[in-house]
This record gives sequence, structure tokens and C-alpha cells, in this order.
Amino acid sequence: MSKYLQLIAHPQELRAVLQWAIWHEPLYPRDPSKESDNLKRCYELLGYTSRSFAAVIEELAPELREAVVLFYLVLRGLDTIEDDMTIPNTVKLPILRSFHELLTKEGWTFNGSQEKDKVVLEEFDKVIYEFSLLKPIYRDIIAEMTKRMGNGMADYCEDDDFNKKGVNTVKEYDLYCHYVAGIVGEGLTRLSVSGGSSDPRLLENPHLHNSMGLFLQKTNIIRDFHEDLLDNRKFWPKEIWSKYADSMEDFVRPEYTETGVHCLSELVANALEHVPDCLYYLAAVKEQTMFNFCAIPQVMAIATLELVFQNKNVLTSHVKIRRGTSVMLIMRATSVRETYNIFQEYCHKIHARNTPKDPNYMRISIACAKVDQFIETIFPTRKEVKDKIAKEEKPEETASTTEVLTIILLFGGTLLITSSLMLGVAWFFGARFDLAFASIKENFLGIADAARDEL
Amino acid sequence: MPAPISSVLIIGGSGFLGCHLVDLFYKLTPRPEIHILDIRPPPALSPNFYSFNPDDISFHKGDITDPDSLRAIFRVTKPDVIIHSASPVHGMGKDIYFKVNVDGTQTIVDVALEQEFWSTIKAVVYTSSASVIYDGSDLKNADETFEFPEVAMDAYNETKVLGEQIVLSANGKGAGLKTCALRPSGLFGPGDRQLVPGMLAVLKTNGTLFQLGDNMNLFDFTYIGNVAHAHVLAAQKLLDGDVSDVAGEAFFITNDAPVYFFTMPRTIWAHKGYVPKFIISMPRGVGMTLAYLSELFSKMRGKEALFTRFRVAFTCANRYFNISKAVKRLGYTPTVGLEEGVIKTLQWLDEEEAARNEAAKKEN
Repeated sequence: MSKYLQLIAHPQELRAVLQWAIWHEPLYPRDPSKESDNLKRCYELLGYTSRSFAAVIEELAPELREAVVLFYLVLRGLDTIEDDMTIPNTVKLPILRSFHELLTKEGWTFNGSQEKDKVVLEEFDKVIYEFSLLKPIYRDIIAEMTKRMGNGMADYCEDDDFNKKGVNTVKEYDLYCHYVAGIVGEGLTRLSVSGGSSDPRLLENPHLHNSMGLFLQKTNIIRDFHEDLLDNRKFWPKEIWSKYADSMEDFVRPEYTETGVHCLSELVANALEHVPDCLYYLAAVKEQTMFNFCAIPQVMAIATLELVFQNKNVLTSHVKIRRGTSVMLIMRATSVRETYNIFQEYCHKIHARNTPKDPNYMRISIACAKVDQFIETIFPTRKEVKDKIAKEEKPEETASTTEVLTIILLFGGTLLITSSLMLGVAWFFGARFDLAFASIKENFLGIADAARDEL
Repeated sequence: MPAPISSVLIIGGSGFLGCHLVDLFYKLTPRPEIHILDIRPPPALSPNFYSFNPDDISFHKGDITDPDSLRAIFRVTKPDVIIHSASPVHGMGKDIYFKVNVDGTQTIVDVALEQEFWSTIKAVVYTSSASVIYDGSDLKNADETFEFPEVAMDAYNETKVLGEQIVLSANGKGAGLKTCALRPSGLFGPGDRQLVPGMLAVLKTNGTLFQLGDNMNLFDFTYIGNVAHAHVLAAQKLLDGDVSDVAGEAFFITNDAPVYFFTMPRTIWAHKGYVPKFIISMPRGVGMTLAYLSELFSKMRGKEALFTRFRVAFTCANRYFNISKAVKRLGYTPTVGLEEGVIKTLQWLDEEEAARNEAAKKEN
């Protein structure tokens, strides 16, 4: 119920949700009639397990879509085994380390898991079958990434120190995030470049896709503090939290709220420092559906980061961005410029809430300013100002008499009320007046130019 | 390995930047001979912030507008690199700016190019200023492709532009002299008499609650030690074999960390234990009007106005730079972060104040 109340309180988001529900159509809709039952089942498995991203994955262009779905399901299978505390290490470790080989073992399934996503493992033979139908180049990428992640996960499972004490240094924090998210970033980048959707130069700058993964993973780690603590998982690096408390459990206690919030700030600053890389990466994604697929999680992450910044509730509960906000972000993040705008808006909100009381005040300010600076390098204002001066044209107005004014007031008033009602309804259902105005303006200027040329 | 420097002559070596230049050249191995040319000897410096032994440095009193004075010093010091960092402080007046920044620079370059010095003087590094491209409008992510304004904002900037042009056009002249210019922005650090002390002065007058503009404008402040570091790199590069991408070029030098303008004073105040309880922000237009009135009243009373339109504009403007060129070609990266720099500066100021109090006590 509160979900609906929230929507009413944020009409822009309500508008977004309605528009999405009523008008949205994928660029490349799936055609289930042409899909085998096996493939259909894979899409269903995706829907069961991935919740938020199933929709975005399904909108990808066909060839890559299948590769990404299978990559996702393979990783979900791997992750389910890793997360399952009921599987003893003697069983778990060999599976993790050889998971990339199991991908070609026809008919393999695993029935010993108690995790919520166990269905993927129980029907893994279907994944294996679809995997065998992929182009060899995609298969190789997925297998290699699976091998590296599986071994990385196994190393962490064997590391008693890590399991008992959690992440120690910031360097270890980056490495952990690399294993669980950076490698996924690399895999998706290679799939995307192979499919011709992204600029191949992305592969020459591996720190970019690593940052994409780290930014998402770190944001989740920051937000999920309380949930993870209840599960006895500690991902905040000790090198950071030990500056603010003697143990991570302290942060839940009211007397540690202030230092806990400061600790949050340091983690937020650390995550924000990945943003310029992420923005750089996004500029190199060429194909529209792939762009959306990459940009959406990123804008969700920056919105989440803004939500957790200086927010003491993170220490004692699970905070989440509103559903309406998500939908609005999904609708907006469809171009480089607009995605940058979203990032800039959230960074400015963070900057506005930043306070010198916080020991990380300057670091946060630098990190937000770096985002502004990066956007300025891609879209320089100097050029825009020049273009604007070149375009500017002011139409002259003629003076009106009192009579005309009276008539306008009488008849125009009625007209105004009616039309604004109509426009309001149109806006609510998704009319893009900004585009309409732009085109009217352009046409008008075009006519004015033509007229001047003739004289 | 960069080419070793055998002797460096630091013109203006007794100044704010000069002392840090001496400090960093002193740390090089092998250590070059270090000579200072200035109108006054270097001040007594705290060993907590400068590591060199003053006895190892030679001071030469000289006049950079007098060719004979320069020749004599060049003959004695035999520098392979000249660092030209002499510049009058702001507020000295147009004539002094022209005399030092233009005439002085021209004389230095002319004498250095005399045949007598062809075999010794290989390179000149000029300390320019980021303000050379300032035309009154916002500088967002400005880089070296931005041109000088047609009309300079003030006499100081005008003379810095001319000085830079004199030095850069001397590149390749004589026996292949190599030159470059560095343009630092918003210097602060130990020895600072303007920026950080100015912001601390606001703390004393309770001006911390006021904010001019919306504080969305970015500004580059630069720690003095990083600027000195860039000079050392530039000198080494110019002495290296193939330097076609450095010689004859200008480089912006910053901390590579622009911040929203008020972040800087508020960080300084916070380190002094003070955080404003609330902020009264004043739109730029209101600020400009008040500044105009303040200038008017001050003029009527025959005093110099402290709250000026220039200051309002400065506080509300974007002034930040893209230093990719220096990063790529000089191999420059700031070694001291912004906040670390602030802490060092405040420690230095505390030490200065303690020393002053001590001296005052002794007098009593």
C-alpha cells in the first residue's frame, strides 16, 4: 500500500510508471512462437532469479540477448553454489573450480542446493543445451569468465581469515569486488564488442569495465550493510571502518550513529571515484539496447549512493530507491547526454548535503567535482555557448491595444483552462512537449532564415 | 633516468614559490648546484617544511632589468637551467608589473641568448599564471587550446601574457635554447601570505555564514610543492634529448582536483575547529550590487575597498583546468593532495604565529 502512496506523493514518478506500463515497447520484441521450449524455459529461469534485470536483458538485440541470458544463468548457478552454506567445501570447491568444464557436460544438473535460486541448478541441463547452440566466440568468453570467477570464489571460500573477519584493506576490497563484479563487466564487454555493439577500444582499457563492476558492487555493499551484518557477512573494509569504530557491529548502536555516517561517507567517496571511468565507458557503447542495458544499473547505483549518503537509516535498516524512481531512471537513461545529466544531478545532490563536519568533506567535494569536470570534457560548454550565439534570433513583438487585451482575457481565459487540462492529460500519458517545442522552434527559425535570405 | 642538472639558477628564489623550488632541486640526486637570484636573500625557513641547508645555497643579489648584473651572475653560476619565477606580488601597480614581468623577462632571455652563454645555458622554465587566459568569463576545464583574451583583464595578467610570449618565442634560438612555461592556478602552502591567511581572516570577522553565489562553481587550488615539482620535471625534460613536445610549450599546473569554491575555506575552518551552523547564501547579482556600494563608500572615505566586485566575480566564477597535457608530456602528477596541503599550510601558520608570540614575549 505504501508503494502506491509514494507514487501519489511523486506525480512525476507516477507519470513515468503509467507511461512505461501503457506505452513501452521493446525495440526488438521477443517472438516466443519461434523459440524452442528449452529456450523459453531459460527465459523463465531468468525471470525467476534476476528480478530487476530480467526486463533489461530481454530488451537486448536478439543475438547478444541469448548470450547474455546464458552468461547470466551460468553466473547465477555459480553464485548459488557459492552462497549455499549447507554444501560442504569438499563438494563445493571442486564444482566451483570446474564449473567452466561442466558447461559442456551434456545433461549435468545439481540437486543438492537449498538456496532460493536452486531451480537454475536443478534444470542446468537446459542451460547447457542452449549454451552449446551459441556462437563459439561467445561460448569461449563465457567459459573463460566462468573459470576465473569460479576459481576466485573458491579461493575466497578457502580463505578462513576472510570468512571470519571479512575484508581487510581497501586493496582487498577492490580485489573482492573485481572477482564478483569486475569479471562480469569484462565478460559483458567482450560479448558486446564481439557482437559489434561496443567500441573495441574498451578492451584496451580494462580499468574501465572493472570500474563499471566495482561501482555497482560497492554501492550494493554500502547499502546492504545491515542485511549483510545480520547474515554475518562483512564486506566493508576494515581499513576504512576501523577509523570510526572498534567493530562493525558498533555502528548499529545509537551512540555510533554519527561516526557510522562518517564511515558511510568515506565508502561513498571511494565508490564515487569510479564514476568518471563508468561515464567514459558508457560513451563507448554504440548500440542502443546495449547502451540501455549498461546504463540502467549505473544510474540506479548513483541514485542509491545519493540515497545512502549521510543517511543513518542505512546502519539499522535496508534502504532502497523508490520503484517510481527506478522506472523514471530506466526511461531517462537512453542516451549518453541524458545519462550524464542523471549522474550530475545526483552528484550535485550529494554535494549539497556534504558538510564540513564530515571528515570526508573535501574528498566528497573533489569526487563530485571530478564528475562535473569529466562531463565537461565530453560535452564542453564553450562549444555549446558558441553554437547558441550562432543560433540566437529574437522575433519582434507588436504592441496590443486594450480592446484586444479584453477579448483575449475573456475568450482566451476559457480556452486556456480547457487546453491546459488537455495538455496536462497528454503530458501525464507521455506527450513529449520538449521535443515538440524544439521542432517548432527549429521550423520557425528555418522560416525566418529563409525569409531573410530572400531579402 | 632524467638528465642530471649540474647548476640551476632560480630567479626569484627567495619568494613563496622560490623557496619550494630550492627545496625540491635540493632533493635531487645527483644534487645540482643551486643559485638564487633575487633582490633580497631568502628568509629564515622552518626545517619542518623545508629540508635544505641554507649554507649549501648561493644567493646572488641582482637586478633582472640590468643586463650587466645578469651577465655577471650567469658567469659565476654557469647554470644549465634557469627557472624564472620572479614576479611582483599583486597590488604593486602597473609600472612595476611591466618592469619585472616584461622588461625583466626580456632582459633575462636576451642575455641568456648571448653567444657567451650558448655553451652553458640550455633551458629556461618560466613561471607563468593560469590567469593568462582569463577573459572575465567562466573557465571550465580550460586547457592549452584556450587563447589569450584580446583585452587582458588587468595589467598583471597583461604582463604575464607578454612575459610568457617572450620566453616561449625564444625557444630554439641561439644554440638551440629550450624553453617552456608553467601556468599554476590558486597557489597555497607554507609561505602563503594570501590565500589561506585570507580565508582564515574571514573566520575572525565572522563572515563564515555568508556564501556568495550557489557554490556550484569549481575552482582549482594548487599546493605550492606540486607546482615546484612540475618545475623540476620541466627542467629535466628540457635537458633531455628529444623534447619537441615540451620545448616551446605552455602547461597548466593544478592539483588535478577542482572543488566547489567554498569547499576550500570551509575545510580550512573545519580544521580550525569551526563549522558554520547555517549558511546565508547571496545571489551573485546581490553580491555585485553590494560590492559596488562598498567600493563607492570606500572611495568616498578614501580607503581601499575590501569587498569588491572583482572579489565577488572571482568567488562566483568557474576557474578550473584540464592538465592532461602536463600529465602526458611532463609526466606530472600532484604529489601532495589538497587536504594534506591545507593541513601543512595550517601547521606552518601555527608555527609562524608561535614564533611571533615568542618574539613579542622576549621584547617585553
